Amino acid sequence: MIRLDAVSKRFGDLLAVNALTLNIREGEIFGLLGPNGAGKSTIISMISGQQQLTSGTLQVGGFQPDSKASKRLIGVAPQAIAVYEDLSAIDNLEFFGSLYSMRRAELKQRCTEMLEFVGLTDRARERVEKYSGGMKRRLNLAITLIHDPQVLLLDEPTVGVDPQSRNSLFDNILALKKRGKTILYTTHHMEEAERLCDRVGILDQGSLLALDTVENLIDEHGGASHLSATTATGVVDRDTHQPVVDLQEILSKHTGIRDLKLQRPELEKVFLNLTGRQLRD
Amino acid sequence: MGLLSAMVKKDLKVLFRDKVTVFFTFGFPLLFAAFFGAIFSSGGGNSGMSVAVTDLDLTTESAAFIQRMDDSSSLQVAAMPENEAREATRKGKKVAYIILPKGFGPAYASLFSGGSPSLIVGVDPSRKAEAAMLEGVLMKMGVERFQNAFSDTDSLLSMLDDTILSVESNDQMPAEWRSLLGEYLPQIKDLTAAENQSQKDAEESGNDVSTGTGIADAMTPLKLDFEDVMISREGPKNGYAVTIPQAMYWAILGVVMGFSVALVQEKTMGTMTRLVAAPISRMQILGGKALGCFFALFLVMTVLFIFARFVFEVPIDYPLKVLLALLSVSIGFVGIMMFIAAVGKTQRGISSLGWGIMMIFAMFGGAMIPLFAMPDWMKSLSDFSPAKWAILSFEGATWRNFSYPELLLPCGIMLVLGVACFLAGSRLIKLEN
Repeated sequence: MIRLDAVSKRFGDLLAVNALTLNIREGEIFGLLGPNGAGKSTIISMISGQQQLTSGTLQVGGFQPDSKASKRLIGVAPQAIAVYEDLSAIDNLEFFGSLYSMRRAELKQRCTEMLEFVGLTDRARERVEKYSGGMKRRLNLAITLIHDPQVLLLDEPTVGVDPQSRNSLFDNILALKKRGKTILYTTHHMEEAERLCDRVGILDQGSLLALDTVENLIDEHGGASHLSATTATGVVDRDTHQPVVDLQEILSKHTGIRDLKLQRPELEKVFLNLTGRQLRD
Repeated sequence: MGLLSAMVKKDLKVLFRDKVTVFFTFGFPLLFAAFFGAIFSSGGGNSGMSVAVTDLDLTTESAAFIQRMDDSSSLQVAAMPENEAREATRKGKKVAYIILPKGFGPAYASLFSGGSPSLIVGVDPSRKAEAAMLEGVLMKMGVERFQNAFSDTDSLLSMLDDTILSVESNDQMPAEWRSLLGEYLPQIKDLTAAENQSQKDAEESGNDVSTGTGIADAMTPLKLDFEDVMISREGPKNGYAVTIPQAMYWAILGVVMGFSVALVQEKTMGTMTRLVAAPISRMQILGGKALGCFFALFLVMTVLFIFARFVFEVPIDYPLKVLLALLSVSIGFVGIMMFIAAVGKTQRGISSLGWGIMMIFAMFGGAMIPLFAMPDWMKSLSDFSPAKWAILSFEGATWRNFSYPELLLPCGIMLVLGVACFLAGSRLIKLEN
């Protein structure tokens, strides 16, 4: 659905995106995981036709990214909460829907559906400035969906959101996947990528370091699992690539096992191993 | 069209939901117009009024009188032909015109016979304060001829000789008056010559007579025939007609700043990202903004004109001219809004640069100090201020009663300025972050 081939973007001396090749499949949630400044938002800007490529080719549904056809396919949720706070939720939805030449009746119905989808029906006519941060985020998502786009570009959609609203947003996103939407999700929260994404690309300083499912990334780049056994004589700790073999060995050597813990590596470890830095450095 | 109307509707909603903006676009201009309009309508003062003077008499006395006006710190005198003087006043370039008609000189020189010297003075009726001040200045100069006469014995004796001759040769004067003066004036002359009549007595005699006809008329220091400059038109006749166009500029300022800040805020808030990502062109985005600003300007100015007409009783007799002025001024300031948004770039930049530019325009364009009260160097600078041309467009469409060709200059300047600034601004402005 989204195809990038050797895409680069340069701002003066800064190479923001470096020869990125990527193919995001229809109906998947693809996560772009990387620290701030890795180039995630720039990639979204290029896919949504806001920024020109310095080099390479990029297509969305077979269309050039700055074409009207491509823009109709895409819904963008910017990192900032991009709503008019002086207007109500319904005013915002109607205005942004009107940019996509929707018929009045269709627009009204979509507004009702989207308000219901993000749980803002009761507050639809209140000014957005009175909303909590989480409600604004949900409205941000609703506006992105107003024209029923096939491709969603969600740029760190949970920034500044309380855990309850975040869970609600996750539910929304998973529901959208069920409806067959293709979603590009950028984040620097590994747990979000692990929970939501079918595949994850790890980005650092404009370059794609690795791309695969979360499981495969962890298997390939996460390093050893950690096995911990509490016995009658003490605690046995070891890092292992073969936890079953090691567990059998511990059981054969020690009696009176009281507790066993096996901890698999997480994406954080993958990033650390790939870059030598923590994700939040 | 649906897209543009949606953008206009949204921008107007956003603009008018901000109470501060609403106050500065409606409330403040109305307060400004009401306050200064009341002052100008009920009187006030000004120094160094710029007046046009026409000497049709061309005598030593008329030249001396003009020289005295020129020497006065209260007046700035420009000599010009009668038609030009009237035109300059009608167009507001001069506060008034003063015409010294034929016969001024002899009447001025003759103290006790004939009519009092007359001046034809043309002042705009809305300028009551300036008219009153001008009357005072001219009457003071009229009184000075008595002071001069009675303070100089030789001059008085010479004037009495002239007057005695004038009385003797005046066939139209009633016989009883001629007889009386024939006896009386020589006695005065004899008394003056013999007793060297004091300056104080002479001044008292001169000050005691101020109005009347016949002999008494001769003792009037100066007869002023005021003409309404607007006598041939149906324009407004009160001070609000002058202050409403000034107030319009403050409304314009509110709208222009509101829209230029809002345009940049779209970028900082991220809503511009949504606009750019939508299937609409850059020109549609900018056009929508421009149209929103245009309608807001048009709306607030129309509302002010309605207030002017129905609350401040400013006659608006030429709606088509007003419409032309509204359209051209709106277009002009839409362009300026776009240019400020492009150059200011950030909200802080616009707040400082935009306000600075617009306030300078206001200062030099007559939105703060009326143009007639400005020194010459400042008046020259005002040509570079869009505020001047906007105000002149409104005044020309109302109380100045410009003809369409005359209205073309200020309206044309606003149109050209608007288009040029819009093109430059829309090229310079960056929509993407």
